[in-house]
Amino acid sequence: MAVAFNKLVTPATDDYRTVADHSKVAIGIGVVGVALAMIVAAISLVAANDVGSGGEDAAQLLALGFGLETLAVVTIKVGIAVALVGILVRLWLRIESVKVSLATLRPTDHGNGSAIGDIETEYGAVTVSKTPPASLPIHKMARTMWFPMLVMGPMLVAAGVVTSVVWSNNIGTRTGLGAAGWTQGMQFLGEGLVLAGISFLLGSILASLREGGGEVQQALGLRVTTLKMPATAKAFVVLMMAGLMISMAQFGLYLYTLTFDTVAEITPWWAWLGPLRELGLALLLSGIVLALATIANVLGFQFSRIRSIAATGEWETSS
Amino acid sequence: MTTLSINDFTTETTAKAPDRMMPQKAGVALWRPMFAMALMGFAIGFILSLVRAGMISNGEDPLEIAAFGHYVPAAMFFGFASVFAAISFAIAKILGESRVGGGSVQEATGTEVATLKMPGTAKAFIVLMAMATMIIHAAVVLHVVAGVSIAAGDWTPVQAEQWTIWLEAARRFGTVLYLFAITLGLVTIAKVIRFQTFRLRQVADRA
Repeated sequence: MAVAFNKLVTPATDDYRTVADHSKVAIGIGVVGVALAMIVAAISLVAANDVGSGGEDAAQLLALGFGLETLAVVTIKVGIAVALVGILVRLWLRIESVKVSLATLRPTDHGNGSAIGDIETEYGAVTVSKTPPASLPIHKMARTMWFPMLVMGPMLVAAGVVTSVVWSNNIGTRTGLGAAGWTQGMQFLGEGLVLAGISFLLGSILASLREGGGEVQQALGLRVTTLKMPATAKAFVVLMMAGLMISMAQFGLYLYTLTFDTVAEITPWWAWLGPLRELGLALLLSGIVLALATIANVLGFQFSRIRSIAATGEWETSS
Repeated sequence: MTTLSINDFTTETTAKAPDRMMPQKAGVALWRPMFAMALMGFAIGFILSLVRAGMISNGEDPLEIAAFGHYVPAAMFFGFASVFAAISFAIAKILGESRVGGGSVQEATGTEVATLKMPGTAKAFIVLMAMATMIIHAAVVLHVVAGVSIAAGDWTPVQAEQWTIWLEAARRFGTVLYLFAITLGLVTIAKVIRFQTFRLRQVADRA
C-alpha cells in the first residue's frame, strides 16, 4: 500500500514540461470549503436572530452548524494537502533539472571542496560525506503515514456531521448530549489527523530535499554536503506528536464524560475540553510553522550549494 | 497530456539577482514573533479555560462565568490568528528564498536573471490573509468587549447569547479564509518551483 500511495507524490512522467493539475484541484477544494463556511455563517446569523426573537430553533441550528463548520475547515485542509502533494511532485522534476543543468553549467576547472566531516555554515551545521546519507527514521515515517492520516481524518469528520444531525434533532435529551460529545470529540480528532497528515507531507518534502540534494551531488561526482537536522525540525516533530496525542486524548475524555450521570457533572469538563481540543490543533499548527521555516532554511542552503557548484564547480570527490 | 514552455511564464529580467519583495522581507522578520505570540495566546487561553471550569464547579457568579466564556476564545483565537500569520510569513520566507536563491544561481552562471512576476495566486494570498487577520482580530477585540460588558451587567442574557453566536461565526469564517489564503500561498510555491525547473533547463541549453 505504501508503494501505491507513494506514486501520488512522484511525477507520472519524467517530462518536466507536463502540467499537473494539483494546484487547480487544491484551489477547487478550497473554494468548496469557503462556500460551506458561508452556508454555516448564514446558519449562525439565522440562529442569532432566532435567539433575539425568542424562538427555540437556535440550539438545533448551532448543533448542525458545528458539524458543517468543522467539515468546511477540514475540506480546505484537504485542499492544502493536495497543494503539498503538487509541491512534492514538482520538487522531483526540479531535482532532475538541477542534475541535468549543473552537469552542463559546472566549470571543468575546479577545486576539491570541503574535507569529509562536519562543518558550520550560515545555514547551520552540515555533514560532508562520500555518499548520500541514509534516510532519517522520521522521514520514512512521514512517507508511510501521510496518506492514512489524510484518509482517516476526513472519515471521522464526516461521521461527526452525521452525529451532529443526531445532536441537532435531540436537543435537551440524553441522546442529544451523547451525540454532542461524539461530534466534538470525533471531529476534532479527525481535524487533528488531517493536520498530522499535512505535517507528514511537510516531512516528506524535507525528506525529498535531503535525498534530492544528495542525489544531485553524487551524480556530479561531488562530495555530498547535507544539512544536519536543525533545531526547528526537531521541535516540529515534538509539537506534532504532542498535538496528535492531545487530539487523541480529548476524544477519549469526551467519551469518558458521557459516562457521567448528570449534565452538572459534564459541564465543567466540557468547559476545558473545548479549549483542550483547540490546544491539540494549535500545537499541530505550531509544528507546521516550524516545518515551513525549516524548508525555507534548507532551500536557502541548497541554493547556496547550487550557486557554488555552478560558479566554481567545487565539492569534488576525487582530489 | 498538456505541456508548458518557458514562454508560458510571465517574467522580468534583470542583470543582478533581485532582492526579496516587501512581503517576503516581512516574512523573514515576522514569522518568529508571530510564532511566539501564538504560543502565548494558546497558553493563556487554556489556563483561562481551567479557571472557568473551576468557577463552574464551585458555582460562582454566572455573570463572571459568562464573561470568561468570552475571554477564553479571545485568547485562543488571538493564538490562532498569530499561528496562521506565522504560517503565512513562513510561506513568504520560502518564496523569498526561492526568488533570491534562483536569481543568484542564474547570476553565478553569467546569464541575465529571469524572475517570475508575482502571480495572481500570490496577490490573492496577501489580500485574503489581510482580510482574515482583520476578521479574527476584530472578533477577538469584540469578545473582550462582550466579556467586560457581561461582567458589568450591561447586557441582557439574550444580547450576550446573540453576540456569542455572531462572534463565533466571525472567527470561524476568518479561520476558513486564512486557510484558503495559505492554500494559495502553497500553490504559488508550486508555481515558482515549476518556473525554476524550466529556467534551469533553459540556462543550461544556452550554455
